[in-house]
Amino acid sequence: MFTGYNTKKRVNERYKIIGFISSGTYGRVYKAEGRNGHVGEFAIKKFKPDKEGELQYSGISQSAIREMALCTELSHPNVVHTCEIILEDKCIFIVFEYAEHDLLQIIHHHNQPQRQAIPAKTIKSILHQLLQGLVYLHKNWVMHRDLKPANIMVTSAGKVKIGDLGLARLFYKPLQSLFSGDKVVVTIWYRAPELLLGSRHYTPAVDLWAVGCIFAELLSLRPIFKGEEAKMDNKKTVPFQRNQMQKIVEIMGMPNRDRWPLLVAMPEYQQLNTLAAGNSRFNRPQGLENWYQSCLKNNQYPQGASPDSPGPEGFSLLQRLLEYDPQKRLTAEKALQHPYFTAQGKPSENCFEDSKVKYPVRRVSQEDNDIRTSSLPGTKRSGLPDDTLLRPAKRLKEG
Amino acid sequence: MASSYWESTQRKFWTFSKQQLNTERRKIEDSERNLVNMYPLPDRRLLSIYFYHQLSKMARPLGIRQQALATAQVYVRRFYTKVEIRRTNPALVLATSLYLACKMEECPQHIRMILAEARHCWGTSSSSSSSLSSLPHPRDALLLRLHSPHPDTSFSEVSKIGECEFTLISEMNSQLIIHHPYRSLAELQTQFQLTQEENALAWSIINDHYLTDLPLLHPPHVVAITALFLAVVLKPTQGGLQIHAASVSSALQTLGSMRSTGGGGGGGGGAGGGGSQNRVQKLVDWLAESSVDIEAVVECTQELISLYEIWENYSDKACKDSIAKFVKSRGLDK
Repeated sequence: MFTGYNTKKRVNERYKIIGFISSGTYGRVYKAEGRNGHVGEFAIKKFKPDKEGELQYSGISQSAIREMALCTELSHPNVVHTCEIILEDKCIFIVFEYAEHDLLQIIHHHNQPQRQAIPAKTIKSILHQLLQGLVYLHKNWVMHRDLKPANIMVTSAGKVKIGDLGLARLFYKPLQSLFSGDKVVVTIWYRAPELLLGSRHYTPAVDLWAVGCIFAELLSLRPIFKGEEAKMDNKKTVPFQRNQMQKIVEIMGMPNRDRWPLLVAMPEYQQLNTLAAGNSRFNRPQGLENWYQSCLKNNQYPQGASPDSPGPEGFSLLQRLLEYDPQKRLTAEKALQHPYFTAQGKPSENCFEDSKVKYPVRRVSQEDNDIRTSSLPGTKRSGLPDDTLLRPAKRLKEG
Repeated sequence: MASSYWESTQRKFWTFSKQQLNTERRKIEDSERNLVNMYPLPDRRLLSIYFYHQLSKMARPLGIRQQALATAQVYVRRFYTKVEIRRTNPALVLATSLYLACKMEECPQHIRMILAEARHCWGTSSSSSSSLSSLPHPRDALLLRLHSPHPDTSFSEVSKIGECEFTLISEMNSQLIIHHPYRSLAELQTQFQLTQEENALAWSIINDHYLTDLPLLHPPHVVAITALFLAVVLKPTQGGLQIHAASVSSALQTLGSMRSTGGGGGGGGGAGGGGSQNRVQKLVDWLAESSVDIEAVVECTQELISLYEIWENYSDKACKDSIAKFVKSRGLDK
């Protein structure tokens, strides 16, 4: 009799929850071990029901549907592997392979107790693997749209895995323009200029800008464009992210029509002019090259070409990624062909190869390890705050 | 063709040989032998036509696009290769497929809107002659409902769709991304410089293939090539896009002669004539040189012929009644 949904698999029969990792707007992530001969460690993402306290089926959110479909479809060594998806009692559990580290945690470790640069070889390997994952995604018409250090996982074997496809979408001739779906995309520090300027038909190039920002952050151990997010005042209008745009211009200089012909067509183009008015720093920007040189100096990378330094090729790659005009920005495929990856030896397949740095294991909280009952109706846990290290608000205090 | 199809779950898990498909279906029928005997159903293709009409009725007032409709049709077909139809309420499965397809195709609809349209379209008695163009306006729905106080196969709660969504996703193993022939057609269209009429005809042939098992049997580009080939060979007339089994059969001859001559000349024999001869020849040459599986194109064409043949026997009422029979007597609408 077809009376309703019958769960075929049960989370607790297949997995033993070790502890709680993090939570976000989507739900919560747990660390787990396989049960009954199902060996290994896993990260289980539990989506909370659309409305808190929902005891009836009310339809799965579109972003959860997207993530489930994409996770099932995609398979690449540099994209977090999805082991299975379990639908049980109005909840959705996506079971991922476990990764001990992520880039945010790695950057954090190098900032404490005192700043110590990430080895140049580690960075090169990370970037190389990240770009390979991105080539795969883009070849499959998937834009990630939320690349940031917290979403780039690294296994203890030094394999880099792009994670969190919660905002990813297919971009082949969508039935609706990408703009009309979700208005705000990409954590603000990694947001591409065309997005800040209100572009409606943006492209996978937004992911490459984010890669540029991540590259810069790996080198300097700080976000390169650390703006403050302008909050939405009411639900209808998305504010112009003035401060974020300022941070970019302070280093990169003002974008102009010569560098970016379609600039004038951007919806927020006028805002850009008011940005410049009365601010002398815009006329004398630091310049990316100066930023890069002082970054190498501060973090004691050798000047000039050396396997222990990102060198001049590193700057050239960074510059091509942080290109204002999305059409001129390197594609993931082109970025992989950049001399940076060949000039001083090939990147290693294990980003920790030759590195003496020991990274701490992922923090796991014990206070909530009942995946089936926790975070049900309306519980907002104390203890680890949402995305412990991950939130811009939190990180502003670090500096 | 996007590179992604070759690695897709559609290719890996949802493309079958005819034999595999028959085996799967026999398996689920055998497990429900009593039900199957008790509630005979029209030919699967006739049911598919009926389902398509029902989906269109729901989709039209909401302005849902063809591609989402096509995705919903594929979901329904996949689902019923895994679950015996007589154990389900098809009205619910259709509404849920459409709801899910809209989310996947980036044109989401609120679950309440889908429910309202589903109730409207299944809850009122429609005469067998009602065609899509004479659909009642949504605001007349209430009025119509008054005339049929006992909605037959409808269901009333949002949570039903929500629950069915879990079932649907689970049966499909979360493999929800569908590759459609429309994309390949768009690419071929420029290559062969199709006229507007030819393109429209090819497009409508693709629409029709969702009424058959072809989406489970062949890759989308093969279907697109079949549609393109038929469109060029049949040369649409002013009379519209009506396709007849007979004319498709003559197109098949063209393909057949091509097969026997090893793909070389001799094409265009049975069909078209006059001006279309050159284009047919161009197509035949291209097909011969490409790595496209000609046998598959022939198979697709045959499948379409038999669809158009059986379509003559279609009766809205017969489908509706036979579904209502098992849904009502088994209380599947509760």
